[in-house]
Amino acid sequence: MTTFTIDGVKKSFTNGEVEEQVLNGINLSLQEGEITALVGASGSGKSTLLTIAAGLQRASGGQVIFEGKDMTDMSQEDIRKVRASKFGFIFQSSHLVPFLTVSEQLMLMLDVSEIKMSKHEQKEEVFKILKLVGMDHRKDAYPASLSGGEKQRVAIARAIIHKPKILFADEPTASLDSKRSKDVMKLIRDLTNTLNITTLIVTHDEEMLPYADHIITMKDGLII
Amino acid sequence: MNMAWKEIKKSKMRFAILGSIIFLVSFLTFIISGLANGLSQDNAALIKDLPKGHFYMNADANETYNLSKIDASVQNTILTEHPDAAALSIQMGFLNDAEDKQHSVAFVTSTDSNLFENVAPGEIVLDKTLEDDGLKVGDILTNNQFKGEFKVTAFVDQKKYSHAPVAFINMDNYKEIYGVKNMQLIFIPGQDQPQAINGLDSFSNKDFLNTIASYSAEQLSLNMIIWFLVAISGMLFAIFFYMMNVQKIGLYGILKAIGVKTSALFRMMWSQMIFITAIALILSIALSQGFNMIAPKGMPFSLTLATTIELSIIFVIIGFIGATLSGIQIKKVEPLQAIQQGEM
Repeated sequence: MTTFTIDGVKKSFTNGEVEEQVLNGINLSLQEGEITALVGASGSGKSTLLTIAAGLQRASGGQVIFEGKDMTDMSQEDIRKVRASKFGFIFQSSHLVPFLTVSEQLMLMLDVSEIKMSKHEQKEEVFKILKLVGMDHRKDAYPASLSGGEKQRVAIARAIIHKPKILFADEPTASLDSKRSKDVMKLIRDLTNTLNITTLIVTHDEEMLPYADHIITMKDGLII
Repeated sequence: MNMAWKEIKKSKMRFAILGSIIFLVSFLTFIISGLANGLSQDNAALIKDLPKGHFYMNADANETYNLSKIDASVQNTILTEHPDAAALSIQMGFLNDAEDKQHSVAFVTSTDSNLFENVAPGEIVLDKTLEDDGLKVGDILTNNQFKGEFKVTAFVDQKKYSHAPVAFINMDNYKEIYGVKNMQLIFIPGQDQPQAINGLDSFSNKDFLNTIASYSAEQLSLNMIIWFLVAISGMLFAIFFYMMNVQKIGLYGILKAIGVKTSALFRMMWSQMIFITAIALILSIALSQGFNMIAPKGMPFSLTLATTIELSIIFVIIGFIGATLSGIQIKKVEPLQAIQQGEM
């Protein structure tokens, strides 16, 4: 089932007097419970497309339809609400909050998404998700004491704890070695299936492509 | 989740440095304020401790009470009309004790009134600081311009004028010392509005203090120091919170990206500011009040709790404004920019 549609999205940046067209009218549909991978050379526009889809920047033209609403027409506050409750993010770096423990990182996401849960239920949910990503034994650790792979696992747990409809991942394995990269991709694959999440992932690592259901190649701001 | 507290717990040193600077600046401000008040008391406790009212002096005295001579008939009319009023004179002078040691004093005399000490001829009532200098009740004091002797009958608290202890003497004795016939001033207590009296200028208590050149110059300098310190502390707040916010731009961006409200980030910053400021102020209030109690007797230092609380409220307001101005960056942070900057 299609849950997310990108329709004729364009994006241009003005650099001095020169206007640079980064996206030239992208059409894309994302399916529930599937991973769509965006691949392409550096500068092809894949990360720009992902950030527009995730509501982190505005498109210059076209529509981004989510749950029947055009996100390009939404106010900043409405987009924030969507990001907080319906989207999950995994970035190239884990971007964990340095002064929160592993379990607090997840509790914060539950607070932000405004899911009505008692403190006890929150703790149970945090423990369940940490177990799912294999980090339950480090629940009281601060980010500074975690390895790169562990941090990325916590980032994944934070991205899915509020049961998002869409998971956006921008080069989630870029800072990891080959073995850890595969572990993380396998985890994203399993979670996409188990939680029936729609996942859009940007990667330049060909070894990660077998985990995707659809592979979209981009070049010069177009899907080829 | 109380992120503000969690960050303070994790970054104790950073917040301790900020807190210690607020503590030092506020402590310095309290001490300077205490000295200013102390000097003010030392300079004019005699006038400051009077009830609210109005002073009157000759219009042609050019706002200098030393040059004022109130006509006896005008004085009598006013005192008849206002039984609680008093005519008074103040002059600096010297007293010699039995060992011929000279004591600088401000001689004060007045008509019968409960506003000033009423003293019989040949008697003298002194400020308590002279008791600390070794004078006792019953001591005999002399003055070069006075034929008789003064017998010390009592000591009174907090009666200072122009940094000298006040010596209350009888009006006849005063007239003999200074060779005058008229009083310099009339004070009518309890007046909200001054009364128009032909040939006399009126001054509120505060306005009268400002006619004393040494008092206004001294207070102006000290008050300038105090307000400079308050302004500097405001700038320090803004600079420190600005620096802390610059370091946290990436964090704010990521928090915004995952959906944290900008208002929640401001609340986080404000609660940290209030917490740090409150701890720093409590410490400096406690220390400055402690200093108030142990300050050497000769040091003019007076710091009331009301003044400290008033200054503390100003510090909190200034801290709030400083932190809020620096927090404008939070509003400007683009989540995308923070994500692209990499690991925090």
